Amino acid sequence: MRVGERGEGKWKKVSWDEAFDYITDKVVKLVREEKNRSTIAFASTEGMQEEFFVDLANIVGSQNTVRHPTLCLASNIQGYASVYGTFPDADLVNAKFVIMAGANRAEAIITPDTIDMAKNKRNQTLVCIDPRATKTTAMADKWYPIKPGTDLALVLTIINYIISNNLYDAEFVKEWTVGFDELKESVKHYSVDWCAKETEIEAKEIVWMAEEFAKNAPESVWYPGRRSSFFVNDVYLRRAAAILNAIVGAWDKKGGLVPKSAVKLAKHEVLFPYFDWSEPRIDVGKFCFIDGLVPDHEKTDAGLPSDSCAYLSEKDGSWPVFREAILNKEPYPVRGMFVYKQNPVESVPNRAKTLEMLKGLDFICTIDVAMSDTAFYSDIVLPESTYLERWDPAHNLSGLQPIVVFRQPVIEPLHDTKPMFDIMCKLAHKLMDRKEFWEDTSEEDLELFREGCLERLTSNPVKSFIHHQMSKYPGGYEKLMEDGCFAIHDEPVFGQTYKKGRLKTRTGKIEIFSQRYLDKGLNPLPAYSKHEEPKSGEFRFVVGRHGQFTHANTQNNMWLLEAYGETENSIWINAKVARERGLRTGDYVKVKSEVGEQTIKVLATEFIREDVVYYLHGFGRLSQGLTNIYKKGASDAAIIKDYVDTISGNAALHETFVTVEKV
Amino acid sequence: MSNKKYAIILDDTLCIDCKACTVACKCENHVPAGFYEYRNWVGEVENKKAVFPNISRKFRPSQCQQCDNPPCVHVCPTRASYQTEDGVVLVDYHKCILCKYCMTACPYDARYENTDIHAIDKCTFCYHRLAEGREPACVETCPPKVRKFVDLMDADGEGNKILQTTQTEVQKPEKGTNPKLFYIK
Repeated sequence: MRVGERGEGKWKKVSWDEAFDYITDKVVKLVREEKNRSTIAFASTEGMQEEFFVDLANIVGSQNTVRHPTLCLASNIQGYASVYGTFPDADLVNAKFVIMAGANRAEAIITPDTIDMAKNKRNQTLVCIDPRATKTTAMADKWYPIKPGTDLALVLTIINYIISNNLYDAEFVKEWTVGFDELKESVKHYSVDWCAKETEIEAKEIVWMAEEFAKNAPESVWYPGRRSSFFVNDVYLRRAAAILNAIVGAWDKKGGLVPKSAVKLAKHEVLFPYFDWSEPRIDVGKFCFIDGLVPDHEKTDAGLPSDSCAYLSEKDGSWPVFREAILNKEPYPVRGMFVYKQNPVESVPNRAKTLEMLKGLDFICTIDVAMSDTAFYSDIVLPESTYLERWDPAHNLSGLQPIVVFRQPVIEPLHDTKPMFDIMCKLAHKLMDRKEFWEDTSEEDLELFREGCLERLTSNPVKSFIHHQMSKYPGGYEKLMEDGCFAIHDEPVFGQTYKKGRLKTRTGKIEIFSQRYLDKGLNPLPAYSKHEEPKSGEFRFVVGRHGQFTHANTQNNMWLLEAYGETENSIWINAKVARERGLRTGDYVKVKSEVGEQTIKVLATEFIREDVVYYLHGFGRLSQGLTNIYKKGASDAAIIKDYVDTISGNAALHETFVTVEKV
Repeated sequence: MSNKKYAIILDDTLCIDCKACTVACKCENHVPAGFYEYRNWVGEVENKKAVFPNISRKFRPSQCQQCDNPPCVHVCPTRASYQTEDGVVLVDYHKCILCKYCMTACPYDARYENTDIHAIDKCTFCYHRLAEGREPACVETCPPKVRKFVDLMDADGEGNKILQTTQTEVQKPEKGTNPKLFYIK
């Protein structure tokens, strides 16, 4: 529990019971004062106990849950789903021709894609498109250091080349898509020569890519990847990439894009009470402050909304808009926040704003396995047991070949920690005991909730819950316990779309032309618009990951930091540019953007474009609890501007320009 | 004579420099924390002539080459360094006097001073695991499966099959050490 000022780093150890009482007091007080349960926000990120954290949000009755997708792949999901009705996977094991643009599977490791990429290495052509030579380049057959922000020009030109040279799958297009003729018309002015100038990729290479893509279809794929928080009009790029795969018929076939399958798990049937004091989410609706989160020229050029987000996930929200709403106290004040496993201070762009937001809150509780920067700025920190010390419920990993996994403890907790499940149970019961907290619901509702929900949610240990989750599959629980994972099929299943006869879109077809978008005032077909460019002396800043670290979570781990090889990060500057500026590897520079500045070591390298600089996420930390990396190197969150893609609500992390000066 | 002769075949074109092998090795073998103590590593093959955008990247994981003709064993004055019957080079820590002749003799820079046990230390092919029928930790943990642990005495085994049908190279063949780490070309 905090005893000094916020962020001063003065703490006292309290018992779990004291902690739960303190939290309960705060929550009850704030909710009653505001007559609004949504005044307590809940921020979290993917994890196998996240569902228990969301249960806690539901018990408190808050609508304000905010999750990681809008710092990551929200625009990707929106873009692909607008075309196919679902966000698919790429069949990397069987694809013959793969274009990986802006995705870095060698360093941003995900299962199974990173491993699949290696499996098929010798039979596959892998094209890596990235302004810097990431470690994925080592695996790739070609690397094109594209001019950032021009990927959409490239995709549309490839589409045009494939259509005008009759390389598309006419039969597939006719049977399975809508809007092909409109597409043909809308892309016809994207010529190869124009594209070469725009993207700075040679014309013959663009032609080669287009021809190979068509030739290898349906075993070719423009890899959807994960993080897509690049530019404010990112959804259009993802739509175009989805459409490229559609016109060559590389959909739901071996080696192409394939809809994810899932193993459905049983849930608890829980009815949360109806609360009178539960206002709708703060990031939904029209707000004038959103205007400031979109660069001026994009509002007109890309036709983006500037007063609201067109498609916001109702559980995930939009981090940049959410924070802005809290700062503006619109549409109502948010006064408390629970944070689970996420670290908004380091993961949400424009760190100064996040700190300002935290400063304005009356209550912050962070649940984490380490003293993250957000934990450091909290009032109370609940130490969670690590994944090696706890039971985690069954989790469906959807994909080409969906599996169910779970976790069991391999050691007793080393310290006085609790898993999220126990924390939720204890807080739920403490809240239940406060009569005044339930004034806004009926006696009957509350009784139902107490018996049907609270009992069910909190009385079962996680192990019995897994038993319930697997109840649809006879013998499934036993198999899961024995093998550690459970699958329905041994091999991926292709062609479900064709069996069903329709996709999950409004028309049942692949929507190249989107009537839905048109109805919302958005471009029904992806169209290219130029992004702002760095002024003379400025660089565009791009973000990235490193194989040893999971986002900003694991830098403080001694083994991983050692494997990284240094205790601080370095800024990549093109070797020629560095020479011209008299900068050498190891010099320190001040990197300054519109929103912040950081000091960092130089790495002069041939692996990056002249107009771009980059440094690794997760350094330059504010928490004194992260002893190995506290104030070491530079934080990217501190300098990245908080622009937002107003179609999906995703952050736009590549719209920041910086100056670099020797110190 | 043993009926085993262990070797590792590596396809380093698959290496993504994630260093799972290094971390697994340090944890499995209680290698002390610190940037300078390690039994295996991943290096980047540097191309000094590379100029943007004409570059390429390549990573090469490595460790003790488990030479058939091990110079470290030959120079050791106390016979702390020795070769087992199945061809694995080990160090008897009790006999080691830290003279570091072996470190000088090794052409692969594969040895380091273990500050916990005050002896020279190196890769053992996870000798303690082999008896249990388990592969070395670096082999087991690798996500893209760069390494294959093989027995060269098994005439029809996977190892001999790969060596007969694929072009491989060893590091610094001119040193005459006959390494048992083979890299697929």
